[in-house]
Amino acid sequence: MIFLHLIVLAISAVLGLVFAYFAIVEEDLLKAVIYSAGQAVAYAIAFYILMAPDVLLAYIAIAVGIYTALLIFVISKTERREVIS
Amino acid sequence: MIVEFLWSIVIISILGATVISLYGIARRPSLIKKLIALTILTDSANLLAIMVGYRLIYPVAPPVLPRLTEEGLKEFLATAVDPLPQALVITAVVIGMAVNILIAFAIIQIYRIYGTTDVRKIAKVIKNEGS
Amino acid sequence: MKKVHAVTACIIVLFVILLSFVLTSLNMAPETEEVRTLGKFFLENSYFGDYSAMSPEVVTSILWDYRGLDTIYETSVFFLAIISSLALFRLGNTIESEKHSEDSGPGLSFIVKGIVKLVSVMIIAVSASIALHGHLTPGGGFQGGSALAVVPLLVIVAFSKFALEDLGFTKDRAMVVRSLSLVGIALVALFPLLYGAYIMQNQPIFPARIGGQLTSGSLILYNIFEYFAVGAGFTAVFLLLATPEKIFKKLLGVKKE
Repeated sequence: MIFLHLIVLAISAVLGLVFAYFAIVEEDLLKAVIYSAGQAVAYAIAFYILMAPDVLLAYIAIAVGIYTALLIFVISKTERREVIS
Repeated sequence: MIVEFLWSIVIISILGATVISLYGIARRPSLIKKLIALTILTDSANLLAIMVGYRLIYPVAPPVLPRLTEEGLKEFLATAVDPLPQALVITAVVIGMAVNILIAFAIIQIYRIYGTTDVRKIAKVIKNEGS
Repeated sequence: MKKVHAVTACIIVLFVILLSFVLTSLNMAPETEEVRTLGKFFLENSYFGDYSAMSPEVVTSILWDYRGLDTIYETSVFFLAIISSLALFRLGNTIESEKHSEDSGPGLSFIVKGIVKLVSVMIIAVSASIALHGHLTPGGGFQGGSALAVVPLLVIVAFSKFALEDLGFTKDRAMVVRSLSLVGIALVALFPLLYGAYIMQNQPIFPARIGGQLTSGSLILYNIFEYFAVGAGFTAVFLLLATPEKIFKKLLGVKKE
């Protein structure tokens, strides 16, 4: 039965790594913000499997709600694309 | 054997996310991308702190006392995880959020004054003004 | 997304699996099966012990009773960040008074507006429940306040910023609510000094049960004040962020390259 917990934990940790990589190398900043929100959901599942419900409640409201809204406000007032050249 | 393998996958993927976000802070020229990479870095560090307090046993329970009796206390002590890293991580999450809000406001103000969020162009403007 | 990025992501995942296989065969993966002695002290003493905080939720009793000073400093750091953001986005008195003459747009469609009205009431109820039960189940002031912060955000996006201000939630009133809640936290922290005890002491100064219900002394008061403080702080931040850009362009011109 411990295998079930650890398999879900391993899958969510690897998903968090993949989403973090896509968020960093993406040039369209709006897509990067959405990938970062996906990474926050993967880490929230990891927090639940590690038996930390207090941290989960604070973290999911802040990372998926506040950070995404804050970054979309900032992008709408500044630039949308990141120019690498 | 399989338990240790899965636990190693978790540790190395979180360390990998930390390294990738450090690359993002150092090498990407947009200020908003640096802020996104900073949030990923603090999230990975907090998850690593919670993993220090976990116990690899089964059954395992969160640190909340379910029954207010003395027999419930014995069973609780045998299965609960460490509560101290969780309290410290809640504090760290809120402080990190306060600093990120201030950084976002500063980015908007920099765009209003210099007209761009590309750090190479801002460096050029500052060097031309100084000379 | 580009093909290069997808291929690199697969290579990174394979590399992680390979490296963890190497780590397992060398027997270097750390694993723990016992709680450390400091954590064991908190688990034993939170409800039944000699240094009891009369709360079955160990993390909340650590946050507000055993390590209460850390939480006071964290709240003051959050307050300093909000004051600095207010100072950055400061407007003159004349420009702030003529802000309201701009016409706001029509907002989103009426389906979204109807659903936002329903969901806002549900979010307020759920966040108040999270904050008030913080001493019995996982939850507390920060968690409830962060959930409450979604409501002004939804109203600003679906209606407009001026609709939220017409309801009475201006930035100055939000700062007043936040300051009053912080004064409340300071009073509850300094209250045990009247009895000759320490600052932020919980038992035996505050009553552990009120009317037969377990309220864990000062923990429920701290949770209520922190809930209002965090919710009002986020309302002020979102009201500042939603100001239209043309007002600021009147103050300072944008230098373009």
